[in-house]
Order: sequence, then C-alpha cells, then structure tokens
Amino acid sequence: MGIIALEKASGLYWLGRYNERVYTTLREFFVGYDRMIDESEDSYKELCSMLDIPDVYGSKMEFINKYPFDEKNVDSIISNLTRTYDNAMVMRDVIGTETISYVELALSCMKAARYSEAPLLELQEVIDYILAFWGYVDDSIDDRQIRSIIKAGRRIERLDLYLRFERPVSMLEREFAKLKSRMELTGLSYDKTVISYLEQAITENKINYSEAILKLENIVKL
Amino acid sequence: MKQLFNQSDAVNKLLERYGVKFGIYKNGTFKEQLFPFDSIPRVIEKEEFDYLERGLIQRVTALNRFLADIYGEKNIVKDGVIPEEFIFSSSGYMAECEGALPPKAIYSHISGIDLVQAKDKTWYVLEDNLRVPSGASYPMIARNLCRRASPSTFHDIPVADNRNYAALLKEVMDYVNTGGINVILTPGRYNAAYFEHSFLAEKTGSILATGQELIVEDDYLYYIGCNDEKQKVGAVYRRISDEYLDPMNFCADSVIGVPHLYSAFKKGNVALLNAPGNGIADDKGIYYFVPKMIEYYLNEKSILNNAPTYLPFYEEDKKYVLENFDNLVIKDVAEAGGYGVVFGKDLEGQKKEDFINLVKSEPRRFIAQEVIDFIDIDIMENGERVPRKADLRAFVLTGKEVKVWKSGLTRFSRNPDSFVVNSSQGGGFKDTWVLLR
Repeated sequence: MGIIALEKASGLYWLGRYNERVYTTLREFFVGYDRMIDESEDSYKELCSMLDIPDVYGSKMEFINKYPFDEKNVDSIISNLTRTYDNAMVMRDVIGTETISYVELALSCMKAARYSEAPLLELQEVIDYILAFWGYVDDSIDDRQIRSIIKAGRRIERLDLYLRFERPVSMLEREFAKLKSRMELTGLSYDKTVISYLEQAITENKINYSEAILKLENIVKL
Repeated sequence: MKQLFNQSDAVNKLLERYGVKFGIYKNGTFKEQLFPFDSIPRVIEKEEFDYLERGLIQRVTALNRFLADIYGEKNIVKDGVIPEEFIFSSSGYMAECEGALPPKAIYSHISGIDLVQAKDKTWYVLEDNLRVPSGASYPMIARNLCRRASPSTFHDIPVADNRNYAALLKEVMDYVNTGGINVILTPGRYNAAYFEHSFLAEKTGSILATGQELIVEDDYLYYIGCNDEKQKVGAVYRRISDEYLDPMNFCADSVIGVPHLYSAFKKGNVALLNAPGNGIADDKGIYYFVPKMIEYYLNEKSILNNAPTYLPFYEEDKKYVLENFDNLVIKDVAEAGGYGVVFGKDLEGQKKEDFINLVKSEPRRFIAQEVIDFIDIDIMENGERVPRKADLRAFVLTGKEVKVWKSGLTRFSRNPDSFVVNSSQGGGFKDTWVLLR
C-alpha cells in the first residue's frame, strides 16, 4: 500500500485498542455478572475500580443494565464499541468494506441486545463478531504493516487491561511476548524503553501495576 | 425476478451491514441514515440506452468544450450565443480559473446528468452536475447483493454488469494522472457522501485522504506518511467544493482543503477531478443554453431534450412565467439537492406575492420550467407494488474517451404526492438495468 499517513496510523491503532477493550471488558462483565448473582449489592464496585471507571451506578442492577448499554456514559461498553466503529469506518480504503462489516454487525447487535429479554445471551454474538473481525483482518489484509498497527493496538489494550485486573504473571508474560514481537512490525516509532521496563518487571515478577500501566499507555504517541 | 423483489428487506439488511449510508444534519446534529433500496429495478431497453448514450456523450463533450472556452477565449460570449451576464455573475464562475488548462484539457471527468422520462416516453435532461456528482456507488454495491439474492434473474435476463464503475473511474484517474499516486480527497466522515468517498477509494485502489494528509511543496502535491516520508500525488478525485479546496487561493477560512493545491494544479503538476470552476457549466441558468452550446461547438442538433425552460432574465420569458406561474416549477439557480425548488401551484396569498416580487427583482437568480409529469416506477411497500416518481442520474466519464456507465442511480420519492426524489429529502434508490439485447 505504500506509506501510511499519521491520521490513518492513529485510526488503525485506536481501532485495535477499542475493539479489544470491548472484547475483554465484555468477557470480564460476563464473569462479574455471574459473581454478582450470588454476591453482595456492592460487588460491582470492584469491577469499576479495576477498570478505573467512575462508579456512577447506584446499585448492582443499575450497573448491570447500564455499563454495557448506556450510550451517554463514555465509559460504557457500547461507547467503546461506537469508538471502534468511528475508527473503522474511516479505514475503508485500508481494511476493506467486508472487514468493517463485522464492526457494523457488532454495533447493531449491541444496540438490539439492550432490548432483549436475555441481554447476556445476545451479547455473546457481539463477541462472535469481534472475533470474526480479527479473523477477517488476518484473512484479507495483505499489508503486514497495516495488520500490525491494528494488532499492536489490540496487544497494548489487552496487556493494559490484564495489568489492571492483576492477572497471573504467566498470562502477562504471554501477552507481553505477543506485544513485543508485534511492535517491531508496525513501522511506528515507539518508546523501546517501555518494552525493556515491562520485560524486566514481568520476568522478575516485580510489577508496579500503576507505573506499568502508565508507561504502557505512553508507548506510542499517535 | 419475483424472487428478487421479495428480497428487498434482506438486501437492505446487507446494505446496512456494509455501511451504505449517507449523512444528514438535522437541527445541527449529524446523523447517519440508511439510503432505502427498492429491489424493483428501472429497466432501460438497449435501443433506448443507445439513444441516451449518444445524447449524453454529445452533451458532456459540448460542456467540456464550453468550460475550455469560458476559461480561455470566450468565443461563445463574443459570438453572442450566451449573454455575458450569465457567465460572470454566476456563482459558479471562478475568475481564478482563467487560463488554467487542466491535464489533457478535461474539465468534467465525472458528470452526473439528471434525467426524467415523461409519460410519453420522452427523456428530458433536468440538470447537469459537473462539480462533485455523487451516487454511483449505491447501485454498484446493490447490484452485487441483488445478484446474490437472485442469481437466476441475472442468468435469465441480459443485464449489463454495472460493477465496473470503479474500473472506469480508475481508468480516467490514470489517464489524467501527472505521475504519482491516485488520491480521493474527502472533507471527512461528517460529509453526507462519506460512504461513497471511502467505498470508491477502496474499489479504485486510491488513497482516501483528508486535507491534513496532503502537502504542497515546490508546486508538487505529496501524501505524507506517519514517519514524515512523502509520496507524490498525480491525480486527486476531490470530493470537496471548489471554494474549500485551497485556502490560499479560494476561501481563506477553509480547514478541509490543501494550501497551494490550486497552484500545483495550475502548473500542471497534479490533475484535479473535476477541475475547479466547473460550477459555471452546471449553473441552472446556463442549463438553458446547453442545446445552443451543442450547436455552437459541435455543429449538431442536441440529441437530448431540455425540459421546456424559461429565463425571467428575458422580458418575453418573464411575461410568460408570470402569466403561467401556477403551472411552472421555479428553481433558484444557486441551490442544489432539491432545495430552492418551488412549485407555483403550491404558493398562495402573501407568500406567492412575495415570491413573484423576488422573481421580478432578481430575474437572473431563477429559472422556470414546465412541470414534466414524469413516469412512475413501482416500488415495494408493505408487500405491495405502488407507483412512485423516479428520476435517473446517468454518469458520464471522460478520459481518453467519453464513456457512459451502463447503469445509473435511479432515485424515487417515497411520498406518493411528491416529485422530489433527493436522498436528503427522504427518497430511496433503485438499481438501473441496461439490457444488452
């Protein structure tokens, strides 16, 4: 495809990040929702805290109803999916109509799920479309740099969220390894010292989570 | 074919999936709307299309000659065929374009000619759109889905394949390209036709760029990479109006254009499709003169008819317009997209009096046309076929040759009492089939 403009690179990167944010937070929401069935009224607060989103919910039920679907709340899952869509639709010439269509499908499914009698069952389809999107990225985008920029966004977001969730080191190691190899393929200038820092912290299992998240957030300037 | 008609909902669902939408501003808020598709096509017989094709090629050839003349020698004015008042007072005339010859001397590469067919089957040209006509992408993607919905229909009926529009467009871009990549310049995603910009970029293999991604250096245009690398641009299919194209040469407030782009164009270092300044040729006032233009430049009679048109600028026409006001449709030459169109019969009392006074005081601003009772085409509505008014936008592409795309955008009114078919006014679209035999 030749060279990639800054605006395009930024769009691809954030497309990857937001898409992954929707995927991982939705899966985490499923787990949290299941726990909330049996746990106390305040149990949702822990999830808010891990995600570093303000607790604007008055109750467990309000969280369950609003966190996925409230379009007016910038932290809701649907708001993140809308941002995925916003970044995808300006990339049609780069990633193709067919690839974008899976984001369109995920968003319309998300909107429909809100009015379903069993939203969680419907939301599974959103996850399916996100995975189909990634499958189509691999299958149809020949340009390695373009693929890598989207995937770098995905990897950074995944590691960021796993750090927030304080996932086991084995999981962090796996995600970090994927991120490290991916960054080299992006052709973007990025802060290599962050890679060294994370490598050491994760390998030695001496992780300052908030510091690691902050550094990771600033690895690419786009 | 019935199988296809029954699949309108399924095709519309897929069009939604593929993001086939247009943007619209309502009360200051941007919204994306689906462009409703009806699967009953407009069918044009081969002989009929052959006639249209000849007429459209003739018309666009003359319009291109007119543009070269107006920004050059102005012989058509000197010879008294068109009064100079219609040239220099037109908002479409751009003095900055005087003497600037586009690559290969082509001004209108993509021309959208709006036609209607009267009930006696006569075709009339209603408008020439030579600036940034849109709409070809919709039937192109719809055809793809209709073929999936009913393969047997397309096996049994010899319909010209219209999915070659992007290839025709690319051919034109390549022909005028001065050396470098092809770019489609968009104002951005909040433009009404953004889907089309991005879809045509994908299908022509062009880069879709905003003004911020392009830079002019030493009178050459470059696409800038994220690591400051540059790639020369040879052709720009710009989907930005003339006035916003280049803040250094046109509207200084424009933040969506590219500074000095027009200078690069003037030096012949980049092709702009369509060329700046084309607005003079699709001015509704100039429309009246197109048949005369054809005679003047080509020494031929116009093959296609204009709708009977009157210019209040001429006393005789003004008298006719005022006497027959209720039977005419009056159009403001400065408006487009279905706006500024007034049916005389719809006005009453003070409003009517005010409007007539406006026509009297600003006669150059308006044209009046006989209302053509154009044919209805059936659409499917709640499982039933119902007739609705429909027009046709034909696309003529001018590169090495002048070619008419064997299809077109058929727009229909969803309101049974309306003649207004524009998407911005709630209209839908159909595929246009051109039969091969």
